[in-house]
Amino acid sequence: MKIYSLIFVVLIVLSGCASKSYVKVVDSSVSRYIDIDDVKERLREDGLKELQVSGENETDEYILLRYRVTWKDEDGFEIPSISSNWTDLPVHKNANFSINIIAPNTKAHDYQLFINKQGD
Amino acid sequence: MNKFKLSGVIFVMFSIFLAGCADKTQRIDIHHDTGDQVMGLDYRDFNQAAAEAVQSMLKSGALNKKGGDRYILAISRITNDTMQHIDTDQLIKKIRIELLGSGKVVVTTAVGINGAEDEMSSKARELRQNDEFNQRTVQKKGQMIAPDMSLSGKILQRNIRMDDGKQQVEYYFMLSLTEIKTGLAWWEGETIIGKRGSGKSVAW
Repeated sequence: MKIYSLIFVVLIVLSGCASKSYVKVVDSSVSRYIDIDDVKERLREDGLKELQVSGENETDEYILLRYRVTWKDEDGFEIPSISSNWTDLPVHKNANFSINIIAPNTKAHDYQLFINKQGD
Repeated sequence: MNKFKLSGVIFVMFSIFLAGCADKTQRIDIHHDTGDQVMGLDYRDFNQAAAEAVQSMLKSGALNKKGGDRYILAISRITNDTMQHIDTDQLIKKIRIELLGSGKVVVTTAVGINGAEDEMSSKARELRQNDEFNQRTVQKKGQMIAPDMSLSGKILQRNIRMDDGKQQVEYYFMLSLTEIKTGLAWWEGETIIGKRGSGKSVAW
């Protein structure tokens, strides 16, 4: 009985610690052209979270994509920020690209980054 | 008489028909605006310029004060050197809001290049020695905080006539963050927004 209680508590703790951050390519047609290779995050000395998303354009065409990020605090509440507006993302043909973003303040804990085609 | 009646009816019907054809005014969804670009500057351009400036400022570390304190920022002259009647606050306000939210900066409204942005800070001090006011509620001398940093800049426009008769308009958003103590620019940023369109369109 004790072991079940322990497992239950551990599961609750783990689910609470799970990151709610993700990078999402919104349009399925875009995900055919680009690959998200790596997502790195670090905490800077000034307490701001920094995010770097690396990817590759696997086509022979230049593509103008766009991205936006929504930041959330530890309790899951959205932090209003100018980075929640779409920003242009030029992606050259057969080349790597990266998105580098800094959190709007030190309370920003989780992020959701969306990548989409221009005009969609 | 009948002739007059008939033409009247036709006139009314034609007016109703035209009114029905008129384009309806629509509110723009500023979070998902798929509308065509314009040769002039619109809110999307200001959003982009402000976002790039703030990200660049935060990345540079120029706003990291020792001990985690906040810098006091004064807004200096932002020159509109374009052919458009724009209020430079369209750009600066977005930057101010984001920097304030970052917890690294507080903007003073008591000091400005053309006087205080909010004159009430000084005006309220004129209540000193006014017997009608409880003097304990009037601000004491030496309470205001002087700025550490100054944000200045320029929005520049260049119009270029192209060989094919089209027109290219380039907008430069140039900003500097100066430490007032030393007069040194700790951060500088530039965002270029270019537009190309009909030579007949006017960019002002």
